[in-house]
Amino acid sequence: MPGKEVPITELGPSHLNQLSQQLDQEIEFIQNSMSQLKVVQTKFVESRDSLDKIIPDNKGKEILVPLTSSMYVNGQLSDVEKVLINIGTGYYIEKPIPEAKEYFKRKMEYLTTQIEKLQPALQEKYKMKQAVVEMLQVKVQAQIAAQQQVAKS
Amino acid sequence: MKCRGSYGEYQKCLSTRQQLDAQLNENGLVKDELVRLEEGATVYKMIGPVLVKQDQDEAKQTVQKRIDYISEQLKKHDCLIKDLEKKQDSHRENLQKLQHQFQQSQVKAATRA
Repeated sequence: MPGKEVPITELGPSHLNQLSQQLDQEIEFIQNSMSQLKVVQTKFVESRDSLDKIIPDNKGKEILVPLTSSMYVNGQLSDVEKVLINIGTGYYIEKPIPEAKEYFKRKMEYLTTQIEKLQPALQEKYKMKQAVVEMLQVKVQAQIAAQQQVAKS
Repeated sequence: MKCRGSYGEYQKCLSTRQQLDAQLNENGLVKDELVRLEEGATVYKMIGPVLVKQDQDEAKQTVQKRIDYISEQLKKHDCLIKDLEKKQDSHRENLQKLQHQFQQSQVKAATRA
């Protein structure tokens, strides 16, 4: 809310409704971001785990190289020293295996801290949402009571 | 109508800002990685479907330039968003005033009838 702060006790039902919808949107956004971060994290885990297979013992062994998600060709593992990593925006860097593992570990830690940062924000939004909904109920009930009073008199 | 138009513009501006932010973030991460690189490590750049070897310093420069550019764009967009917010507020006020006037004239018409 831009401008000065307004306590939710002073807002009317329509404003409260609007606020609750806005909070819903924000919660959804944060949840989406979190699940996206988790998806990326599992990708990093997979990449790091597949590095465990690239050891000198496996040099020269036959592998199936995926050309598309449903077609593979035969290949031989010729280089067990270095891998190419996509670091984003079209840049790739060549790294020895231990450093590559280090890279993935770092990325995973980075993502974990990002997810941890989102958690309290999400909690906060939930709390706000609850407060708004409760206030809305109180207001609506008060309105109904007032209407009944008018109808009686 | 004016109010809705400026709202659309505002939304558009917000989403571009978000995109710029994401790009800045990604480039920042790439820069971090490039800075961590050892001397002599090979850097490739994806150009269309091919990977082209690129000089480390050149890559660093390019990324830095991008970051500078995106930051500038971000600043511009922040200003724009602020302007649009102001405009929206004034539209909203106008709308409220008009609605108020309308209601008053209705009440007047009702009492007269």
